[in-house]
Amino acid sequence: MKLSTLLYLCSLLLMVSCDMDKTIDIDLPPHTPQLVVECYLEQGKPFRATVLETSSYFDAPTPPLVPDAEVHISYNGQRVKLQYNPTFNEKQSKGFTHSSNKIMRGQPGDVYSIEVTDGKGRKVTGYTTVLPKVPIDSVKWQFNENDKALLLTYFKDNPNTANYYRYMTHRDSVRNGSNREFTLTDNLNNGKQIVIGSNYNYESGDTVVVSLFHLEKKYYDFLRSADDAEDANGNPFAQPSRVISTVEGGIGVFTNLVYDRRTVIIAR
Amino acid sequence: MQKKFTLLFILFICLIIIPTLAQNTATISGRVHAANDNQSLIGATVSVPALGIGTVTDVDGHYTLQLPFGSHTLQATYVGYEPYTTYIEVTGGDALVYNLMLQVGSSQLQEVVIEANTLEQKLNDTRMGVERLSTKEAKLLPALFGEVDLVKTLQLKPGVQSGGEGASGLYVRGGGPDQNLVMVDDAVVYNPSHLLGFFSVFNPDAVRSVELYKGGFPAQYGGRLSSVLEVDMNEGNNESLAASGGLGLISSRLTFDGPIQEGKASFLISARRTYFDVITKQINKLNEGKEDYNQIPDYRFYDLNTKLNYKLGEKDELFLTGYFGRDSFGFDQSGFSFGLDWGNTIGSLQWKHKFDNKLFFSTSLTSTSYKHSISNSVGDLSYSLTSKIQDITLKTDFDLLLDGGHSIQFGALATRHAFTIGQFNFDVGDKSIEDMSYSTGKNYEAAEFGAYVSDNFEVNPLLSLSYGLRFSGFSSRGKTYTALEPRAAAKYSLSESLSLKASYASMMQYIHLVSSSGASLPTDIWYPSTPYVKPQRSQQVALGVSKLLWNGSFLLTNEAYYKWMNRQIDFRDGANLFVNNNLENDFLFGKGESYGNEIYLEKIKGRTTGWLGYTLSWAYRQFDEINNGRRFPTRYDRRHDISLVVLHQISKRISLTGAFVYGTGNAYSLPVARIIVQDVEGREAAVVPVYNDRNSFRLPAYHRLDLGIVLKLKPKHGEADLTFNVYNAYNRRNAYFVYFERVTDEHDRTETFEAKQVSLFPIIPSVTYNFKFR
Repeated sequence: MKLSTLLYLCSLLLMVSCDMDKTIDIDLPPHTPQLVVECYLEQGKPFRATVLETSSYFDAPTPPLVPDAEVHISYNGQRVKLQYNPTFNEKQSKGFTHSSNKIMRGQPGDVYSIEVTDGKGRKVTGYTTVLPKVPIDSVKWQFNENDKALLLTYFKDNPNTANYYRYMTHRDSVRNGSNREFTLTDNLNNGKQIVIGSNYNYESGDTVVVSLFHLEKKYYDFLRSADDAEDANGNPFAQPSRVISTVEGGIGVFTNLVYDRRTVIIAR
Repeated sequence: MQKKFTLLFILFICLIIIPTLAQNTATISGRVHAANDNQSLIGATVSVPALGIGTVTDVDGHYTLQLPFGSHTLQATYVGYEPYTTYIEVTGGDALVYNLMLQVGSSQLQEVVIEANTLEQKLNDTRMGVERLSTKEAKLLPALFGEVDLVKTLQLKPGVQSGGEGASGLYVRGGGPDQNLVMVDDAVVYNPSHLLGFFSVFNPDAVRSVELYKGGFPAQYGGRLSSVLEVDMNEGNNESLAASGGLGLISSRLTFDGPIQEGKASFLISARRTYFDVITKQINKLNEGKEDYNQIPDYRFYDLNTKLNYKLGEKDELFLTGYFGRDSFGFDQSGFSFGLDWGNTIGSLQWKHKFDNKLFFSTSLTSTSYKHSISNSVGDLSYSLTSKIQDITLKTDFDLLLDGGHSIQFGALATRHAFTIGQFNFDVGDKSIEDMSYSTGKNYEAAEFGAYVSDNFEVNPLLSLSYGLRFSGFSSRGKTYTALEPRAAAKYSLSESLSLKASYASMMQYIHLVSSSGASLPTDIWYPSTPYVKPQRSQQVALGVSKLLWNGSFLLTNEAYYKWMNRQIDFRDGANLFVNNNLENDFLFGKGESYGNEIYLEKIKGRTTGWLGYTLSWAYRQFDEINNGRRFPTRYDRRHDISLVVLHQISKRISLTGAFVYGTGNAYSLPVARIIVQDVEGREAAVVPVYNDRNSFRLPAYHRLDLGIVLKLKPKHGEADLTFNVYNAYNRRNAYFVYFERVTDEHDRTETFEAKQVSLFPIIPSVTYNFKFR
């Protein structure tokens, strides 16, 4: 939670607890839809992408599909076309509009690029460089007097590069939704052992899945800006900001996912 | 350009050193003070009616007049006090000193004081865009939660806007809240707000009056672009000991004042504290041990004002002023603690000396600091984040009266700034693997200086001029900026009831507030000008006309202004303003302009008094990197702003007050579109808003009516009153902000999206008990 959000919520709590919300009508200006691309390449998994459009805010919540969109991913001199085949993966609770059977087997340093075009002449391009995995050294916990435990995750930062991370924890399984998630950089502790803590949220017997993603800077910027944009909707102290995309010609993200994951069972 | 300034400066010097050599006049001077408590009366009129010559007392209650030789009737008046008349003989030779003591008026209307100045004085004042407000007046007007706040009352004046519902920040003629120079006894106040801006730091029991300059700034002021707010502290009564205070819904106040050495030295000490934490602590205690109970965080603010004044003799007086205020927010539960503290600390030592009737001198040594500090610890991990600004300033001002209607002011100041920016410390208790602690932050030092000279020149009974020049500079990190800031104002009386006025002011601002919100948050950071961050500059021209109406019982004033600002500061999208060693890399620089017209009709005498103000205004900013380079309205751009304030005295004991405000809704950014970001496995899909033009929407119009009754009681000892207030009397749901919400069904599936409006304060009745023992 951002500090301004915390301050705001607390001040509201302190000042007045009346229900002062009401639904109002707002006329939004006409909106010209832009292409929205979301594509994550993951080692050992097929190429899959989602291509949609932006929606005017009060449009019906149906996904704005773009059936004539064509998606190509290129790497090492190869150009792979992803077929339009909207599907929903129940296991991951994720939908994809374009996919291919081609399996991603990139090595750190490999560059992949994406190109999305459609019948309206719109074109979105982007590229991603495969990063090395940053291993989690250890996951520890400490109990307080109420038998609640906090979690400590340790990893070592590479001093030779500017690094960006995303940290996530899940209870029992990643399918259950993250109960803690944030992004960080190494600009204050470059090359050092880094520890990430939590609040006293856990009890003996809890199973916790800890994930540490190594991010490209542009993906880090995308995550932060999307988070800022979400936060600005409903926080009067926040300055609304644009989403910083990793792609050009539209909105969205094209990146590769590299992460280390540990599952631990909390025990006294 | 250099030549132009040299010529200007020579012309300026010529103007101020050409006193007319009238040999038949003499200077008389003195102090006007109240008989009951010996307090200086600021803005009292001292005149010789037969000659049509008059003046107004300054912030110390002093006056000076040039009079021809002969016998004259000297009169002093001040609203709420009986007029004082004396006969004087003016001859050559020694300086003539007449101290004038006014008795509290016996009229039943004595408590209804709108402003210290009379309408005639305002009509004939060369200064433009000046608003004065006394605590007496503010205490009569209805206030949110009954908490009297002079700064919020100033928001009822034309050209002055609030940042939002209940906020005490001042947005003056299109300027931001960081562009106000707020001063208490020569010391700068960096954050004049408590509780996220809902209350100002000025305890009404410790403050006598405030004066706000919106434009036409005298040359003695510098360092901020948009306004100057002079806060005049009460002095201790040097005749008898008194205790006063108030019990309110939010806070209580207690003040002691009295003599240390009768007639020579006095003290005042005033304290205020809120109750939130006392109540929340009890609630937490009652729920202690409950499984799912989350502690309510503690919050409190308090402040302490002190003032000592000591008369060294007829010609010398010392003043020692202190302020200490803190806001404190935090919680501590089962190994997890969080704290946020912020506040100002101010000290000021002033020496005022009178060489003779024509030359006065005031010098002060002040120290001011503002600090915010965040701390958090959980288990072995802890961090703290602190930012701070600390100043030491030496300032000297001279007032020199010359024959021929010239009144010269000149002086200089030097300030040493020390900045601590984003001092972040992360500590890991367990050092068994390796020391994972780290820290970051920047410390900067800077020097700011200014020197000025100005002349108030009564050319003739119809025309008066005020012109001056300020030379200012700032040095930090090997870079020195300097600037000349010319100031000018003129008043021409077309008739006894009609005057025309004009003013021009150029202002520089060398320190900048790093704030991503556009509102005043305690965590905003002051940042110096550096080789990369150039100082901000503004220029303002204003034209005005004032007209006395209906036998002088009403004054109608119209002022139009245009202000243009360079090197305004904003921040890149996604800038990290908290822990960032290269903060200035995220700065953006642009320009701004604001213009408008302010109409003000006021009545200050009679059983019914008050004012009506209407402002038509525009305020814009323009940055290459924001809004695709197109200009955009600021959040506080308010096309129409109306305020109506009425005070009516029913009887000696009962006063009724009402205030109505209407304003165009704040400019606001809303998303025009949305995208779905499904994110990676393990994260739920999110609806991410897509913003387009900045501040392109408007909240609905804001309007509100506040009502109050002041009931004077008759206690056995001293004075007391009960003040009943109703804030937002007709329970208008004014929009505080608007957001878009996803509406879901019972399976958390999105059904639709809708806009929600959030209001902050419904109708809020309150009662305050004020008392005074002598």
